[in-house]
Amino acid sequence: MTLNTPILWVFLPLVISLITGIFYRRRILSLVITCTTGFGLGALAAFFPEDMVISIGSLTLTFVENLGILGRQINISYQILPFIAFIYFSTGLWAVGSTQPSVPESFRPTSLVVTALLTAALGVEPFLYAALFIQAAILFSIPMLSPLQSKTHPGILRYLNLQTLAMPFILLAGWLLSGVETLPPDSPLIVQTMIILGLGFGLWLAVFPFHSWVPMVSEKAHPLPVSFIIFIFPTAIALFSLNFLDRYTFLRTSQGLYQSLRAIGTLMIVLGGLWAAYQEDIKRAFGFSALAETGFLLLAIGLSDQVGLSWLLMLFPTHAISFWLWGFTLSLIETRTDSLSIRGLKGFARRYPVISSGLLIAQLSVAGLPLFATFPIKIALLSAGLTTSTGLGTWIFIGSLGLFFFTMRLLNDLVTPDEQQTSSHWTLTEKPSVYLPILLTILAVTIMGLFPHVILTNITDTLTAFSQLQ
Amino acid sequence: MDALSTLAFSLIVITAMVILIFRDWRINTAALTLQYLAVFYLVTLSWPIGLAIVKLIVGWMATAAIGLTCLRQIDFDTPAEPTSSLFFRGLAGLMIILVMFVISSTLQETVFPNVDLVIIRSGLMLVGMALMQLGTNAFPYLTIMSLLSFLAGFEVIHAALERSTLLIGLMASVNLGLALVGVYFIMKTNERTLVQKEEEDK
Repeated sequence: MTLNTPILWVFLPLVISLITGIFYRRRILSLVITCTTGFGLGALAAFFPEDMVISIGSLTLTFVENLGILGRQINISYQILPFIAFIYFSTGLWAVGSTQPSVPESFRPTSLVVTALLTAALGVEPFLYAALFIQAAILFSIPMLSPLQSKTHPGILRYLNLQTLAMPFILLAGWLLSGVETLPPDSPLIVQTMIILGLGFGLWLAVFPFHSWVPMVSEKAHPLPVSFIIFIFPTAIALFSLNFLDRYTFLRTSQGLYQSLRAIGTLMIVLGGLWAAYQEDIKRAFGFSALAETGFLLLAIGLSDQVGLSWLLMLFPTHAISFWLWGFTLSLIETRTDSLSIRGLKGFARRYPVISSGLLIAQLSVAGLPLFATFPIKIALLSAGLTTSTGLGTWIFIGSLGLFFFTMRLLNDLVTPDEQQTSSHWTLTEKPSVYLPILLTILAVTIMGLFPHVILTNITDTLTAFSQLQ
Repeated sequence: MDALSTLAFSLIVITAMVILIFRDWRINTAALTLQYLAVFYLVTLSWPIGLAIVKLIVGWMATAAIGLTCLRQIDFDTPAEPTSSLFFRGLAGLMIILVMFVISSTLQETVFPNVDLVIIRSGLMLVGMALMQLGTNAFPYLTIMSLLSFLAGFEVIHAALERSTLLIGLMASVNLGLALVGVYFIMKTNERTLVQKEEEDK
């Protein structure tokens, strides 16, 4: 029996999400279906045999990488499977986090749709059509960020605007790229093409000055869907961007492009870090930190001549686990306090020590504190930045301090007793269903930081999908 | 430029100006309907009618979805605006028309030498007006209309560059998806209005 891999990792989750959507009010059922699909498809991708043949008793399933649709193809090759495994595992992880009643009911079905569409985007041929799949994923993400019961805030409209504007730029750049390959390197059309391509990716990745929706949405929307969105879109788009470097020699060999990526990445790290440092609202700070992390993704691509692409891929799992913990703890805090300002959280750690620890560790992990998940990659990127230019390295370091500074401010207020509270004693009020996931994730964050080569290197196999970039 | 092309171009400029200036959903829905007719004609300059009609059908379906949802809502009328606001937006629209006229010829020479000037001009007009609209309003339904206009403008130009059945299908899905998001936003606003009214009555 012959099957196509796109049916397994694109169409099957779409059908399942439809079923989950029908039963979206049945929390447990939709939770079980989404978790099983996420972890199941993730495990299947992780342990998929290289010869693409699975034998179950007398039944032999032979898988084909391509699926033709309307004269074009979706191609999920064996080489891309480590990344597919990773994004499906992540979707399962976020589904686990959605056990909290405050999470919008639309989150579980739409998160599966988003992952399936992004998978299709990574496999569609010609690859430029990916822009349309990404746009469709963006449209599906709207209900989870702005549920029916809530007010439509300006941030969500800005998110929709800016993300939608990106798609035409990418499609236009695709058309231009097909013509500029044969042109001499000094042709003005090459620069124009790179600018159009840059605008498209800049809009998608919320690069300054197109970043304004990120803090607005993170402030108003539920933290768990926000953490999912600001993790999965930059991750998939960063990987998608490697297609351009892989296929077009003039882009791959352009030193100006790498310099620009390093400069823009550093700018994002500095701005995101500094903005996060003086935020009062902890949800807005999350948004600004996400911007700084996008800066690290761009910096890693810009440092591709110094193993930057491996660091880029290793950043993905560390972001996933840290952003999940951050989003999960923020959503728990949101249901336990009236104010999400730093001052409003005075003494919170005395009542909820595990949730507070989870939040602080998530922030410190993202900031790159030693022993935690992102530290090995951040220190490698910082060293490479310093090797490239002392100025660049210094600015990356300054930007990285921003989130540390914010975390120290938050820590100070979290542990300071609140005069208005009757009791200032330390008490463990969290239930096991709350503190167990947090403690397990803290453990995972620590193990990733201690043994990065054991945990994080598997995903770097994805680079084999890009023959020119290895 | 033949007479029909000129007519389509004029229709695009007028309807884009109307959507930019006015806030009334009835006027804007009518303008968007006519706009898609002009877009359809301009796409037929590059594609066979059988394919180009997909743009018209999808466009009208998207417009109908938004228009009919607005029709079913209570208290959906936008507040009255001073004449100066209309005047300001009209002036901004005229500026966009001027800018697009100036850059369209240069763009044709440098980037799209094989594309008819009327197609570039019409596409740029829609894109420019939609961007101005996106920058000057915060109404969800107008945002969606502007995004639909923006995509229509892009599609007019892109149709002259590339033809693919999958692309047409995906673009149609994106347009309808945007319209559904618009319907979702309008319904949300109305649900909240209803809840507020019920609370006031109590």
